[in-house]
Amino acid sequence: MSETTSKSIREDLTQRDELSLYTRIANNPRPFFKWAVPMLVLIAVEFPTYAGVAFGMLDAVVIGVTGLLDAAIGLVSSGLSQTIRDAQYAVVGVLRDAGGFVDGLPTLFSREVIPNQGYQTGPNGPWEGTFLGLEPAYAWALRATLIFAYALFTAYWVFRGWLVYRDHYREADWTPTDDIVDNLSNHQWGKFGIFVLILFLTMAVFGSALGPTTVEQNIQSPYSERINYFNEDTGEVDQVFPGDANFNSKSKGSAEFNVGPMSYDDYGRFHPFGTLTNGRDLFTFMMGGARITMIVSALAIGGAALIAAVFSMFSAYYSGRVDLTILTTADGVVSIPRLLLLILVSAVFANHWIGNVLNGGFLLAIIFAFTTWPFLWRAVRGPALQVAQEEWILAAKSYGQQPRTIMRKHMFPYIVGYLLVYASMSTGGIIIGLAALSFLGNGLGISPPTPAWGRAISMGQDYVSGPSWHISLLPGLMIVLLVTGLNALGDGIRDAIDPEAGGSAEGEEAAAGGGG
Amino acid sequence: MNRGLYLIKRLLLAVPVMLFGLTLSFLILYLGPIDPVGTILGRQATPEDIRQLRIQLNIIYPNGEPVPLWDQYLRVMWDLFTLEFGQSWTVQRQTPVIDLIVGRMPATIWLGFWSVLIALFVGIPLGLYAGLRANTYRDYFASGFGIIWRAMPNFWLAVILAGLITAGGALDWYKDFIVTTTVTGTPDVLNNLFTLYHVFEGIPLLEALAIPVPNLIPMAIAFKWILPAALVLGSSSMGNEVRIGRTAVLESINSKYVDTAKSKGVSGRKIIYKHVGRNAIIPLLPVIMGEFYLLIGGSVLVEQVFGINGLGNLFFRSILGPDIPLVMALVFIFVIIQVTVNIVQDLLYTYIDPRISLEDTQ
Amino acid sequence: MSSETHADPTAGDTEPILTVENLQTAFYTDRETIRAVDSISFDVKRGETVGIVGESGSGKSVTARSIMGLIDSPGRIMPGSSIKFQGQELTELSDAEYRSVRGSGIGMVFQDPQQSLNPVYTVGNQIRESLKINRGITGEEAVEEATDLLEAVGIPDAKRRLDEYPHQFSGGMRQRAVIAMMLACDPDFLICDEPTTALDVTIQAQILDLLKDLQEERNLSILFITHDMGVIADIADRVNVMYAGQIVEQAPVEELFANPKHPYTRALIDSIPGEHSRKEGLETIEGEVPTPNEPADHCRFAPRCPKAFDACENVPPQHVSVSDEHDHTAACLLYPEDLTESHRVEKHLSLANDDTEGDT
Ligand code: SF4
Repeated sequence: MSETTSKSIREDLTQRDELSLYTRIANNPRPFFKWAVPMLVLIAVEFPTYAGVAFGMLDAVVIGVTGLLDAAIGLVSSGLSQTIRDAQYAVVGVLRDAGGFVDGLPTLFSREVIPNQGYQTGPNGPWEGTFLGLEPAYAWALRATLIFAYALFTAYWVFRGWLVYRDHYREADWTPTDDIVDNLSNHQWGKFGIFVLILFLTMAVFGSALGPTTVEQNIQSPYSERINYFNEDTGEVDQVFPGDANFNSKSKGSAEFNVGPMSYDDYGRFHPFGTLTNGRDLFTFMMGGARITMIVSALAIGGAALIAAVFSMFSAYYSGRVDLTILTTADGVVSIPRLLLLILVSAVFANHWIGNVLNGGFLLAIIFAFTTWPFLWRAVRGPALQVAQEEWILAAKSYGQQPRTIMRKHMFPYIVGYLLVYASMSTGGIIIGLAALSFLGNGLGISPPTPAWGRAISMGQDYVSGPSWHISLLPGLMIVLLVTGLNALGDGIRDAIDPEAGGSAEGEEAAAGGGG
Repeated sequence: MNRGLYLIKRLLLAVPVMLFGLTLSFLILYLGPIDPVGTILGRQATPEDIRQLRIQLNIIYPNGEPVPLWDQYLRVMWDLFTLEFGQSWTVQRQTPVIDLIVGRMPATIWLGFWSVLIALFVGIPLGLYAGLRANTYRDYFASGFGIIWRAMPNFWLAVILAGLITAGGALDWYKDFIVTTTVTGTPDVLNNLFTLYHVFEGIPLLEALAIPVPNLIPMAIAFKWILPAALVLGSSSMGNEVRIGRTAVLESINSKYVDTAKSKGVSGRKIIYKHVGRNAIIPLLPVIMGEFYLLIGGSVLVEQVFGINGLGNLFFRSILGPDIPLVMALVFIFVIIQVTVNIVQDLLYTYIDPRISLEDTQ
Repeated sequence: MSSETHADPTAGDTEPILTVENLQTAFYTDRETIRAVDSISFDVKRGETVGIVGESGSGKSVTARSIMGLIDSPGRIMPGSSIKFQGQELTELSDAEYRSVRGSGIGMVFQDPQQSLNPVYTVGNQIRESLKINRGITGEEAVEEATDLLEAVGIPDAKRRLDEYPHQFSGGMRQRAVIAMMLACDPDFLICDEPTTALDVTIQAQILDLLKDLQEERNLSILFITHDMGVIADIADRVNVMYAGQIVEQAPVEELFANPKHPYTRALIDSIPGEHSRKEGLETIEGEVPTPNEPADHCRFAPRCPKAFDACENVPPQHVSVSDEHDHTAACLLYPEDLTESHRVEKHLSLANDDTEGDT
């Protein structure tokens, strides 16, 4: 068969496929609309939140990528690099405007709709400014619960969309994915992992609405606006800057200087996780940390998985010298322990412009991607080699299909499952590494005042056994929970792809997290 | 191919790997935004001092021309491979780097030794036990430990443990348990662990050899001091070992060769020791070897929290300096350790797993 | 159960070495109880080869493992089952006692020679282990004996190959080595669970010939388990046909192929294609073996049976004699042929009731 015929057949096939999905929905629109309308509503009520997150991430990526391009091209031609810089400013400007605009739009579960910040009008007086006059703790709990419920339901509804597609619009009655999904939905441990992941993604996306206060008001610029509180000494409602209030709400490990979990400070502010040593709200701090953690680890693991996928397919397809070169490179990268390389790079670039993109997170994401891919590559190389031996690949080769097409169409779908397994497990290591850097401080990790989990642990170091135990303990437990969840998810997917293997031990060390 | 040849091939392959790691570090340090002169001399340096230092650091030639990067690179690499580590810049100005490293070595070796050993002796038996008792409550208990150990950040565990022991916390009794010791800082007993006996006194050549005999009391004190830190440093490896050990045993115990061995009338105990045990070690090998990898990185954090004056702590300080000669020397040592561990692992494989032939391993 | 009632008078001349009676092995999972082997009875006489044939999932391998005492949790041999080997009741043995029966008493060759040998020990090491445990032979003598055994199973250059690892052997050679390892135990009885399935046809024939030779030399009794009617025809003296945990027909091999009675057996024999491509085997019968998770109150073959009638859904068929000259029974409501349908059903019903009463 010649190249052109096989190609035209393929185009034929794909075109018909795409057309028919549309026509299939047109032919039987009811199930689609029954799913799509609630989905649209779900998105619409929180649209500004999603848009804000998207703009924020785009912003960082644009700055990071154009910055790197700029540096690279600047070596060759300064005129061109100036153009790039101009483009960067223009795009970032647009993105920030758009971000500012959506920020102003109302959302359903915002702190404006269900406010929890307020003040008492007398010693035991009613609460002013909170939702329905509830105590701040209850108002906050109500909002947080609603947000989590909304997020879980939205996640379910997205999955529902796939079910609708499967039952009503897919041509094939059965695909291997069905089995994987069924296996996973019978896997309690794996479902626990999914649940944990959704929980933390919710924190990352809705963090600013989840906290009892905002990073902006409580941490970043605590001296811009005063808040009301009931002053017990004077018996009146007074005003204070959050920064000054923080100063008097420190948790310093002694009875008089401590605001523990689930308690109020002297300014009527509720602290679900207590306060930090500088009087800031730990829960709000953790929510802010969740966002940066999730963004950095997503960028890092995405990059690592991409490199690993490409290299493993190269290894398998070309083998021999190409494989050996990649192997040597991978060993070379791994020869410097990851944490050391991270410390090295982030210390050296601490004051460089790239060290400031995404509060230092962008650079960290790049290093994590760079140091993680060898592990993923090693784990996926086996399956890739296996699939490269399959007859259909050999057949495709003999038809003269392009290597790129073969890899993308035939090899990638096979290895993507394994990639997910090990990516999920390696993400734990990245999260721990990120926290470790912030823990070390000294310009490493996420730059203050942007919240970072490791920094909270570091602050509480001296107060572990005392009234202020919460500062170090709670952030650590959150990390343990998230990492356990990711490991569970990896286990679940692995068992779902390959129930027979029952957890083969091979390639596991690749994912060996911990370390930090 | 025999083992000797195999080893040579393996060593040759290690050269590009080492070069890669070292070159990477070189590029980061020499291309990155570090101003060595400013770092060393501070702000009030005279132009002449600066010029002198630049020449001394091989940044410019005496005639004022800048030294090209590749020249600097070759010089740095040559020095490293000839073990000329130079002098420290900032950590202890003008002290030979080698002295600094040797001085810090005992603490880190002591820490690493025990963390590897504790992880091995707790993790592997627990994993094998969980595998043998699969799906019982005891298994869930042991596996649960493994899962949590894997997920706990070292530095956090270190903070919690150190906090509980030192500041009048729940584990305060540990300090006065049997002998009174500290758990943070670096005790002097560390230099007193062995007594060297020069038994070959007067015999030429052999004279220099000494037999180290452990001093029990200092050993005990040093062990008690290092135990919390070693536990922390070994924790994630321990978790991995429990997990991999369990699956390895399960896989082996459900295999046909175990059935066949049973059919031959082999006793249960012997099946576990002979048939399951050796097969289960194979997937555990990379985990055990991976401990060294986790150890080097983890030591930075654990030594930081427990205030141990070891190599990890030295590395951290040298990077913050920045103290480029010290950083390069430490990276050189770490890379050598890593590459050696890899080679040892591959060699061990050829002994443990006969299916791996010497020809096609890499 | 009924196999005794219809015992062939001529069968009394040799003592059975193994008698399985009313064997029930069930697996308990969270959701259901799988009666993998549901009340089967058969015996094996000295020097004889008895075949068990059935599709995968019919319970034939579980039968073999039950005899070997290799049923692990969540599986259990139910009370009321009996496995007698040389007069000894195996189901009552402790672990240690069972160990002395395994090897020197009963040996077993598994399906996949690839995985039956421990990959990290040499073949010689594993044969010597058998010799040491079962016959106390060690040292030089063991090496010699092992060499002899490898030669006996037709492995050339035996001395050298003792020091090789399993992965250095080809598939057929590996199965020979497994057989040698089992012979090293000097068993009286050998269970072969699909020993040739993973091998190609020529090698398969060689292994079968080897087994026949060994049987003659050592007066071995063999229980041969396979899904392949062709192999059964080649090696077995008597055959039990298994379906969904039950034996549906028992007969001497020539009789079975000449006069298959049970509709399932017929389908099996019809599905043997040509002489040269037996591979397809049973898969050509439509449908799948049902998972036996309910007590049998009907014929489990009914959904696939071309001859099924109403009663098949409600009456559990019992073994009845279907031949005057041979010890040939079938569990199907179509027999005994000389009765009318309603009489036949009644007969099976009453046999079934006798049976359950006998159990209690
Ligand atoms: S009992 Fe009925 S269904 Fe079963 S085999 Fe006989 S005829 Fe077929």
